[in-house]
Order: sequence, then C-alpha cells, then structure tokens
Amino acid sequence: MDYGRPDRADRLAAEYVLGTLRGPARRRFVALLPGHPALRDAVRQWQDRLAPLAASIEPVTPPAALWPRIEARLFGTEPAAAPLAWWRRLALWQGATGLTALAAAMLLALVLQQPAVQPPIVIVLGVNPDVPQTVQARFVASLGADGRSLVLEPIDPPPLEATQSLELWAVPPAGAPRSLGIVRADAATTLLRAQLLSDTAALAVSIEPAGGSPSGAPTGPIVSLGKLAL
Amino acid sequence: MQASASTPARPDTDPSSALEQLIGRVALGQRAAFSALYEATSAQLFGVVLRINPDRAQAEDVLQEIYVNVWRAAGGYDAARAQPMTWLTSIARHGAIDSLRRGRARGQGMTVSLTAQGDGDDDPAERLVSDAPGPLELLQQAAGARAVTRCVGELSAEQKQCIALAYYQGLSHAEIAQQLVQPLGTVKSWLRRALLALKDCLTAAAARAPGREG
Repeated sequence: MDYGRPDRADRLAAEYVLGTLRGPARRRFVALLPGHPALRDAVRQWQDRLAPLAASIEPVTPPAALWPRIEARLFGTEPAAAPLAWWRRLALWQGATGLTALAAAMLLALVLQQPAVQPPIVIVLGVNPDVPQTVQARFVASLGADGRSLVLEPIDPPPLEATQSLELWAVPPAGAPRSLGIVRADAATTLLRAQLLSDTAALAVSIEPAGGSPSGAPTGPIVSLGKLAL
Repeated sequence: MQASASTPARPDTDPSSALEQLIGRVALGQRAAFSALYEATSAQLFGVVLRINPDRAQAEDVLQEIYVNVWRAAGGYDAARAQPMTWLTSIARHGAIDSLRRGRARGQGMTVSLTAQGDGDDDPAERLVSDAPGPLELLQQAAGARAVTRCVGELSAEQKQCIALAYYQGLSHAEIAQQLVQPLGTVKSWLRRALLALKDCLTAAAARAPGREG
C-alpha cells in the first residue's frame, strides 16, 4: 500500500483513529507510525477532530480493586534482573508456608528466651515457590546452641550436574546475603562459623558453578529457603 | 515536557493544564502523580472502554493495560501537540478496539443497538445496552458544543449512523454493514465521505476560530 500519497495517508489515519482500520492493515499502519512523521501528524489531527465525540460518553467509575492491580503490575514485583529480589520476597513467601512459619515462631521464642542453655535449633529449609518444580529441594539445618556450628542435611536434594555446587547463604533482614560455604547434596555438611545467627533472618541454598559463586552473591537459582526469625 | 511555556495564560486550575502537569510528573516516574492521574481520568476512560467492549471483566483488563501503557508512554506525551484527554482517550480507544478484535476472534458475539430502546423486541442482547444512550444519541449529545454541532448536523443520516457505530461501539466496516443490512462497499463509501465531510467542515471552522479547542 502506498502510504506516501497524502490523501491515502490521511484516509488511513482517519480510519485508524475512528477504529475501522482492522486486521493486518491496522498492524501495518501502527508499525509504520514511528518512522513516518506525516502519518503521525495526520493521526494527531484526526484525534483532535474526533476527540469532542468522547465528551458525551458517561464516565463509569472502575471497581476499587483495579488500581491495586495496576500498582501491583507496575511496582509490586521486584525487577527480575535484580540479584537480591528473591530474598526480598521472603516475607511474602513466609506467609504461604504455615508450617515453617510456626517453626520459625518457635525458633524465635527459643532464641529470645533461652540465651543461656539451648538445645540445637532446627530449621527446615522448604522449597522455593519461585523456581520450577524440577529443581525444588528441601534441607534441614541444625544449629548448635553456641551459634557456631551448623549441620545441613539434604532431605530432597536438587539434581546437580558435575559442573555445579550447592552453596548455603545467611540472609540478613536487610542487605546482601553472605556465603556460609559449599554444602553437599548427597550427605550432611558440617560448618563451623562464628556468629552464624547474628544478623541472620533466613538460610538459603542456591545452585552455583562448581566451587561456589564467583561473585560472592548468589548467581544461580535459590532452590530452598528457611526463615529464621519473624 | 510541560507546555507551560506555550500556555502562560492558563491558570493551574485549568483541568487540561493540571492533567498536562500530572502526565509530565508521571513521565518523571512520580507514582503519586500517577495515582492522581488515575483518580482524575479512570472513570472517563472506563466509560469509553465499556462503550466499545461491554464485557465487564475484559473492560477492566483493558483499563489496567491502558494505565500500564500510560505509565510507560508518559515520556512520549507532547503537551504542545495533544490535549491530555485526547491523548488518553486515544490510548483507551485503541486498547478497547484491540481487545474487541481478540474477543470476537474467540467467537464471542457483539452487542449492537443503534438506539437506547432498540426496536422493542425481546432480544436479550439488546436489553444489555438498553439503559444507556445509543451511539446515535451520543453523537447528538457530543455535537452539543462548538463547531462539531454544525459539522455533524451536515452529515446524512446514514453517515451519522456509520460514524456513531464505529466511534462509540468500535464496529468494523463489515460489522456496520451487517448491522445496517447494507453492502460492505456502500458502508465504506458512506464512512469515507462522512470523514471527508467532517474534516472539511471542522478545518474550515478551525480556520475561522483559531486556537486549540478542548
């Protein structure tokens, strides 16, 4: 179609604005708009001409639930590229896993009320609802009462390739996760670290390149999560 | 972005000017401005969408899509070249028409009634729209101001029907032909002549009364 002829361009612009330009012709027209200032001018003029017609349409207040939907769509989720997005979602995730929430509440009580003599603290690391089912995994972490030793046992380990390792992370309430080290998928791993529980809100296991994350921050999928405190 | 330099005489209370400023602030990523813009314009745009796509759930999805587009496209809005409501209404109408095409492609029927009360028959499809004014009535009401009055008045009855069905209900050429029980070529010809007549008439009116109309 020859869009260069002014009368044809104007007719197409009119039909586009009125709404009768449909199908492939409409899609072609829309695709051409960015590169054709004359077409855009014609469209704008037709929009001005027909704009008064909209004035007689009675306003209809949309349902109150619509605005939150728009906000959630635009602002509600962290950008997918943000490397820390997953642990910011912990609060939401926590609400969906009642059993773990209960365990975390009990754990919090233990941590707060029995600082002197504590039995080992058990944390269940559940599946991460944000990753595909095929890589979901479960672990149990046992923390020594002194806060320095941690034993991580796989319950449902994720499938790993030879070039992959599992890495355990301590997730603070705010800020970047810190690595607690490489853990095994096929057997229990014992870690000895000072201040394991200090400033730790959750534990997480990610799949990393063999030897661990090259960047010091999780780079692979977070396959398992367990929240430590509310 | 702001048109204030070109429109110094407008006070900030002017609705158009206020909307222009809101859109400018939305372009800067200010969510409070976006919320205020939604408050100020969503009912009007929802009315536009519902006219074209009366399916309530689909219309809500379309409105959501419209404001997502507004948020992303606000940086491209040029207040010197388009009235804010014209810009917003255009986004709304295109979104609604696109949704209609998808809906009908899935085999959903269309609801059409030229006048509010239809023909008095018991067609349930017509009762759906019986409370609201028909597209022809809307056209007459829209023509209640300024140059559009005379220009719409100069159209033939057939041309008015075609413009009203296309603009308010988003009907295609084929759907208008079906509705009016006329050959497709006839309807296309009516519409083409109607648009040309409107253009000539409105251009002449604008030449006599320079200045941007709302």
